[in-house]
Formats: sequence, structure tokens, C-alpha cells
Amino acid sequence: MEGSDGTLTTALRLDGVSFAYGALPALSGVSFALAAGERVALLGRNGAGKSTVARLVTGLLRPAAGTVSLGGWDTRDRTPDALARSGRVGSVFQHADEQLFARTLEDDVSFGPRAAGLPERDVRRRVAAALAALELEPLAREHPYDLPPALRKLAALAGALALEPALLVLDEPTAALDRALSARVTRALLERAAGGVALLVITHDLTFAAEALERGLVLDRGRLACDEPLAALLGSAARLEPLGLALPPVAALSAALDLPGRPVRAADAARALARVAGGRPAP
Amino acid sequence: MTRLALERVSFWYPATDGPTLRDVSLEVAAGEVVALVGSGGAGASTLLLVAGDLAPRVVGGKLEGRVHFEGRGKGKERRGIVLPTPWTQVSGMAFTVWDEVAFGPANLGWPRDEIARHVDRALERLGSAELRARDPATLSGGELQRVIIAGILAMDPALLLLDEPAAELDPAGARDVWRLVRALANEGRAVLVATSDLDALPELADRVVWLERGRVMDAGPPSLLASEALCAAQLGTRVAGVWRAAGLSTPYPATVADAVRRWKEVMGR
Amino acid sequence: MTRRHPFTLLTIAGALPALAWTLPAPVGGAVTAATALTLAASRGLHRGLWPAVLTAAPFWLFLFILHDVPTTVAIGLRITTMVASFVWVAAALEPARLVEAMVAAGWSASVAYVFAATLSAVPLLKARARRIVDAQRCRGLAASGGVTARLRALRALALPLILSALHEVDERSLALETRGLVPGVRRTPLAPPHDSAAERVLRWGLVALCVAALTWRVA
Repeated sequence: MEGSDGTLTTALRLDGVSFAYGALPALSGVSFALAAGERVALLGRNGAGKSTVARLVTGLLRPAAGTVSLGGWDTRDRTPDALARSGRVGSVFQHADEQLFARTLEDDVSFGPRAAGLPERDVRRRVAAALAALELEPLAREHPYDLPPALRKLAALAGALALEPALLVLDEPTAALDRALSARVTRALLERAAGGVALLVITHDLTFAAEALERGLVLDRGRLACDEPLAALLGSAARLEPLGLALPPVAALSAALDLPGRPVRAADAARALARVAGGRPAP
Repeated sequence: MTRLALERVSFWYPATDGPTLRDVSLEVAAGEVVALVGSGGAGASTLLLVAGDLAPRVVGGKLEGRVHFEGRGKGKERRGIVLPTPWTQVSGMAFTVWDEVAFGPANLGWPRDEIARHVDRALERLGSAELRARDPATLSGGELQRVIIAGILAMDPALLLLDEPAAELDPAGARDVWRLVRALANEGRAVLVATSDLDALPELADRVVWLERGRVMDAGPPSLLASEALCAAQLGTRVAGVWRAAGLSTPYPATVADAVRRWKEVMGR
Repeated sequence: MTRRHPFTLLTIAGALPALAWTLPAPVGGAVTAATALTLAASRGLHRGLWPAVLTAAPFWLFLFILHDVPTTVAIGLRITTMVASFVWVAAALEPARLVEAMVAAGWSASVAYVFAATLSAVPLLKARARRIVDAQRCRGLAASGGVTARLRALRALALPLILSALHEVDERSLALETRGLVPGVRRTPLAPPHDSAAERVLRWGLVALCVAALTWRVA
């Protein structure tokens, strides 16, 4: 992010944020911050307030109390489109395939960078990079509505990547995706995060969360119930159950076999398994 | 006795050259949960539409082969299908969740007290009784998905066709729905389910059918999800995947409980 | 008023424009327009009165440009009656109650559903339009700017709305089948709206009034 104050590595900060839909309270006193490159899962039951957080962060909603700031900008003073064009935030909501309208996938993905007023050369570079990140290049010239819903969902994600934002806010990016497409999303997100992009991802898919994300925020009836490393949270059935979550299979395996370090990612668990099994004397 | 049988079924959507289903044979009997697995576009959703007598009757297209269904009683209302998109399956004609769930049974022309009995029971089984007075338009994705499942269940189908019925649910909600699906089969319904929640299948399914590009590649007990072929196609359970990635010997375990048993063997040597 | 029988609401919404066009101008139109606007206003300023006034206003402008003042007033009042009646009935008539009423009156559920779906399409489209506006703004679409910018913005909103709505039409007909909406079965009315003798008298009275007005004007 530009700026020379001490906040330049903070992509997002929520300070005592509350919000209500009419008389129905949705969030109360939520505070957290995301540093550049941080990969954060936003977890919780249906109706815990996760989507409200996403709408506040993108500027679609304004907090009733407290502040939401993105790279030094208070969302209260900006419109959602200005926040998006400034490169502070890119987002993909559920049913994002409804937003597609251009004649080709490529055209649709370039919508954001064009709206941001970038020179055509930069637009093309960003679009190519976004399509490549999700392995969509072969479909660049297809009409979005000729693609199955799962690929339309990926197209919407490519549109957000093409904005090259400092913060990506995603609502259930792997819902209705098969494992191969989920893995594509995971790879693309890890790549962007390695380049300094902060991720705030709403998800019920704890296996995906374990693979792609590192820190877990849990909302419970509008309050922040927990903020800690995902590995610790996902390893504890006792902690997950009351939050409407369940031990993901890899974590359950690590616990049942008492693998050292209780890994929650598949690759780590496989390594630990191989190491322990290899340490046994040969028969 | 309820039974669904597909014999050498191929299906073409309107205005397409290639078939979406090719030569598919498959059987589901009362008391059974049969799961369809496959990567996106494998044809599982289409197969459910064919099994539900919606393709080609409603969506058009061309069918070859035979679809045979006998249910308790008569009439196609005895096949209930849950589509993967609850927001399009909602009637839009109800002001309360209770009325939404009653929409189907009322369309079937049942007596009012029978409707009420089935609606109350379905809402209760989906853990949605407390939503009964809510406006369906204000429900979250997960709540709506459960209400739609209740709406189909309230029609008392002998054969349940479920397309990703847990996609919108949080993990605890998904687990409850899978338990309910198992219970529905145990009380004598036949269930055909398409899901990408592969890790739920060992406890849920009696048989697994692997579809790829419209063709049945393999079928068998849930232990199929720990086979080399399915693991290689990214369709094995996570536990089997970790076991395989660790380079440990076959047979791979499908579940954590299997893994604990296998681990004792490996470590005991 | 919304608790009245759906057929009563429809009859009133039909009778007001009919009377507006048959009764002598400008008094007839003034009475019907005032009645219709009062009904619309009863649904609230934002749901009823404003949409009616804003929709009717351009007609007045065109009439004023094309005609003299008496004609403008005469036709303007009639059009205002039509617009306000429609806005009112669209806001006051609950689609679910209409289905129940039609089924109770012996219509098939499929026909009733198609009829009611036209009424309920508006709020559904509105909700979808809202989601699309939000999504496009999050992609950087500015809601302000010059004429070309506004046109481009309109395209980015209208096109996805149309495309996704068309896409959903197929899914909807499929979805209704899954909910047991098939021809040939008599739907069970769950809570048929109450219909009183007074309301039936009112409805037939309105119809008789329209016929009488027409006979009087033609004769």
C-alpha cells in the first residue's frame, strides 16, 4: 500500500464495529486487523454475521458504530466503487455468477481494471495474470453463460484478482466446486498472498481453510468469539463443536494417530505419517 | 417395494451433439443410499434429473435406454428431488416458512390435516421448527436449503434424489443433514445423492457410483473411495489421500477409524 | 384494505380505470384519480404514492406538449387513475393470497401460479438487481459521471439482470415441477381468504356501476 505512516502494512482494520438490520442486531463490538499477506478465515454458523462483515469491509454497508478502515481510508467517507478502484479491496460474493455480462470471459474479467481507468496495456497484463492464476486461459474467449456454474464462479474470482487489490474478501469461494477446482482456487490465493495480498475468506469448508489460510476468526451471534491460528483451532474438536464446526478429516486423522505437531494440512500430515512410519524398524 | 433402475441410459440435452450421460446402468432400492461421485460436469446432476423424470420430460432432449421406477403407491409425486440451487427451488408464493414447506403437499391436493402433519414433521426433522413463522425471503442460504429439503420431504417421497443437499450448510448443519438422509433410508426410502462431500460418504452411503464424463467408471462399497483410481482422480476421501501421499501401503483407509486400525498393523510390525 | 378478499382488490383496481374512461371528464376522472391516489397513498409514501405520481408525471408532460389544457387534464386524470390503481393493487395484493383465492374459486393451481408470479416477479427482480448493483460497484462501477459513463453503467447493470433472469426461467419451471405443481391435480387451499357477503355485493356493485356508466355514455 502507498502511504508512509505506520499503517502501511495494515490492509484492514475494524474497530469496535456494530451493525443492525433495522431492529435486528447483526454485529456488536467487532475489532480485528489484517496485515498485508495475512490469510484469514472468517468462520461461524449460518447467520453469525459473516456476510455482514464482508459487506461492511467492501463499503456496501456502513457501521452503525465503530470504524472500518482500508489502507488508511475510512469506509464511511468512500463509496464501494471508489474503494475497489483504489486497489484497496476486491470481493466476490455468493451468486457472483449473476454479475457476468460481457461477451467473453476475458472482457468480463477486464471490467474492474477498465473501471479503475488503467491504461489498456496494464489492463491486458492484469487480465492475463488473473486468468492464468485460475487456469482459465483456454476459456478466455468463451461466453460466460456457456460455462457451467462452477467455472462462472471462478470467472468472477478472476475479475476480483484482476483488480489486484491489497485485500481480497471472498464469500464461500469453494462452495459447489469440485476438489480439482478448489485446489486451483487454493493455489491462486496462496500465490497472491505470497505477493502481499491480505485474504479475508468466509467459508464453511474447513478442509479448504486448513490448506489455504492461517488465522481463524470465529463469529458467534454477532460477536468475535475467537481469533487465533487456524492450526490450533482446527485441531480441537472441543472448541469447534460449540461454534457449529466439526473437526476436518485431516485434523481428525492427526489427532487419532497422535501425529507429532498435530498437522491440519494434508501435505504436512502425509509427511508426518511417512516420518513416523519410516522411523519404525523394518520387519 | 421401491426401486429405481436405469438400464443403459444415454441422454442428450437439446441442441447438443454429445450425450451428457452414456450407457449408464444403475439401481437403487428401498433402504439404500447410493452416492454419485465425480468431478464437475461428470453428469451427476443430469442423472438425477433423468431419475426424477424431469429429463427429458421437462428439460427436453433425447433419452435412450430405460428408466424404471416403482414406488409405494402411484404417481410421480413419490419421487422427490432437491436441486443444487435452493434459491430457485423456493416457491416465492409463501409468506411463512410453514406455508413454503406446505406448498408441495398442497399442490398434491392432500387433505389439510395430513398436510399439517407432514409439514410439522418435516420441519422438525430438519431442525427448522423455530423458523416456521419466518418470511422465506429473509432466510440465510443454509436456512433456505434446509427449508427446501423439508418442503420435498413433506411430500413424502419414496425415492429421494439429492443434488448437493449440504452445499450451503455449515459443517454441523451438513452433518445433521447426512444423519437425516441415512435415517430416511433406514425407514425404507430409497436415496440417490450427488455430493462432493466425499468424506461424509463412508458413514452415509451403501454404494458409491463413480461417474466421469457421463459414464459409470466404477461402482462399489464406500471403500471404493480409498481405491488408488479414485484417489488419483481426486475423488478419494481425505484420509485415504493423506495415507497415499505418505507412501504407505495399500489398502488405503477410507476413514479415521479405518486409519487407526491400519496404523496399528503398520506400527505393530 | 389488504385483508380484503383478493378478488375485491382486483375488482376495485379494474373498476376505477374503467369508470375514469367512461364517466364525463374532467369530474369523473378527478374523482377516480383522487380515489386511486388515496388508495396508493394508503400503502405508504414510498411504496404507493411516490411511484404512482412519478410514473404518471411524464404522461402529463407529453399530453401538455401535444394537446390543449382541457384535453391534457381529461386524459391525464384518466392515466393517473390507471397508474395509481395498478401501483396500489401491486402493493396491496399478496400473491400467495391470490393463489389461494383462485384455487378456492376452482382455478387450477398452475394458472393461478402464473397469474400470481407476474405480481411477485417485481420484488424478486428488485432483489436481484440490488445484488447485481452491489457486485458491480465492488468491481469499481461508478454510479455517477457523464452521459457515456452512465450509459456504460446502465449496460453493466441491465445486461446481467436480463441474462441471469433468462437463465433462471428454465430452472424455475423445473423447480416448480419438483414442488408438485403439475396440471390435473386440484390443489388444497391452505388458508382460503375470507370472503364476506358484503364484499361480494361490493364487487358486483362495482361491475354493475361500470356497465351502467358505459350504457349511459354510449346511449
